Amino acid sequence: MTRQSDVLFGFLDEDAKKEIRRALLKAVALPGYIVPFASREMPVARGWGTGGLQVSLSIITEDDTLKVIDQGCDGSVNAVNIRDFITAVTGVSETENTTAATIIQTRHRVPEHQLQEGQIMVYQVPYPEVLDSVEPDTARQKEMHANNDYAKLWVLLYEDTSQFGDSRMASGYPVAVNGHYVMDPSPIPKFDIAKLNMSPALHLYGAGREKRIYAIPPYTEVTPLTFADRPFQVEAFPGKACERCGSSRVFLDEVHLDDGVHYFCSDTFHCDTTLDSQGDDHAA
Amino acid sequence: MSYVAIKGGAEAIRRSKRFFQEELEGGAGISEEQLRLGLRFACDRVMGEGALYTEKLAAEAVKRSGGDLLEAAFYVRAHRSTCQRVGETPCIDSTGARVIRRISAAFKDVAGGQILGPSCDYVIRLLKTLRRDGTRSDWEKGAAAPPIYVPSALAFLRSANRVIRLDNREAAPFDITRFSPLPPYPRSAVMQTMARGETGALLAFAYTSMRGYGDVHPTIGDLRLATAPLFFTHPFTGKQVQIGEIRLTACETAGSFQRDRRDGKVRLSVGYGFSFGYNETKAIAMSVLDLAMSHATFSVGKHNLAANPEMIVHHVDGIASMGFTNHFKLPHYVTFQADLQVFHQAEQHDQAK
Repeated sequence: MTRQSDVLFGFLDEDAKKEIRRALLKAVALPGYIVPFASREMPVARGWGTGGLQVSLSIITEDDTLKVIDQGCDGSVNAVNIRDFITAVTGVSETENTTAATIIQTRHRVPEHQLQEGQIMVYQVPYPEVLDSVEPDTARQKEMHANNDYAKLWVLLYEDTSQFGDSRMASGYPVAVNGHYVMDPSPIPKFDIAKLNMSPALHLYGAGREKRIYAIPPYTEVTPLTFADRPFQVEAFPGKACERCGSSRVFLDEVHLDDGVHYFCSDTFHCDTTLDSQGDDHAA
Repeated sequence: MSYVAIKGGAEAIRRSKRFFQEELEGGAGISEEQLRLGLRFACDRVMGEGALYTEKLAAEAVKRSGGDLLEAAFYVRAHRSTCQRVGETPCIDSTGARVIRRISAAFKDVAGGQILGPSCDYVIRLLKTLRRDGTRSDWEKGAAAPPIYVPSALAFLRSANRVIRLDNREAAPFDITRFSPLPPYPRSAVMQTMARGETGALLAFAYTSMRGYGDVHPTIGDLRLATAPLFFTHPFTGKQVQIGEIRLTACETAGSFQRDRRDGKVRLSVGYGFSFGYNETKAIAMSVLDLAMSHATFSVGKHNLAANPEMIVHHVDGIASMGFTNHFKLPHYVTFQADLQVFHQAEQHDQAK
């Protein structure tokens, strides 16, 4: 893919990129801490991944290989759109291969394949502030983070658990990072949270509309907020496997069709590779 | 069993975009000039909310978006991101600008006079033309009028030290395009946010403070449509040179009097509103909000919506709110499925009781 010559490499001007990189450096230095940044308007709408897009465009180089997924799928409409835009303004090569990608921009999922050192995950974030549900005032939120005061969040978790048996926060479940800041891991299912803990990859979070950036550096402890006597429950699909490749122990999409409910891998690359390796087995 | 159901569709997107363009093809013949002059207020609104003074691109954006002004402002903002910031111009003094319209509702007559200028305020809004409506027959277009400069209608109150002057602890204006403001929000950051805020959003918030949920009873002290020169420091000579002019709308609105914190004397509170191009509704709404936020000491006080910078700063941007509202069209099946699982568990939890 060659870059369109009438736009700057990476679309944003160099000052914008520099500012975003500075915010990213601060975010990496303070795992889980929310760093404000100016957030430029992008040619895609606010709420459609502009935070992730600005992060990706600020860190991308000619040598990068880009993967973009939405709901785990490379072919999802918004993923296609964002990937097309980034490649058009950078000329970098694109891939669906989780292992071959150096930058993976995502919405709502962490890939099933084990991430590696040197890889960067870029998350599109709708609500960066984990305390929003219990404290809307930004000044108070900042104080609470500084004091490690998550009492209100714990109360919310407790109230939900006592009434419903578990927290009603199904995605974007609050996690403590490096034993201090509690952060919103973006709306990934609880299923994906274990993948963040001690991950060899760098995880960057960009919220364009809310103008915030935060990060989890490689090999950082990430733990969901849970009560000592209540095990953390993730989404489970007992007795179900992907109808296409046979995978279980992955996050499955429920597809409701006329003839009932079907299950498929949410991570389409995982599904394709599993299917391919079975093909190889048959050949061998 | 087909797998296609879950894959997106690059081809479908391509065709949908094409379809959209085809739907607007009927307007292909509308020229930029026709838009810029004939739909001036649409273009001005787009410049303001797009936060870029560009009559040409605003017109282009209105055309591309088929007249959806939120979309059009969004085009301009996106373009803005590609422009390198060269530097800062000195402040524009809107009271020193060349006016084509300047009115004051506070005084019957003011220094410089009431200059009605072009206004639709007294137009009878009938889609049918009345026969006796002012026609061009009795209207002779005179020679270009000499430029008019008038001081603010509130100038004499100010010079008599009867208007509250807000403390300015900011060494330089905040730049919201370079930094995301944090509380306590500098007034310059709040003003910038409003200056590029969505007209309807500012209007709605300002309206809350005028009726049930606030104490602002505004009197328009000075409302003007004007043209102001723009200066910039020449990179080589270091001198100030004029680089152009911008059309603007500015409004000073008087609230009630209150005790000045500086010396305890009673003085008048005044709010300020500004917009690129001609957009009176926006400038008035902004001045009311400035008044509500800067002088929030009445009965409802800080607890009303419009007086809370936290409420205003985060909710008046049309690009942000429009984008986010529309993002709910994107697939959310992973999150919704996760929601349903927890929902299901809660049902089971209930049944187990």
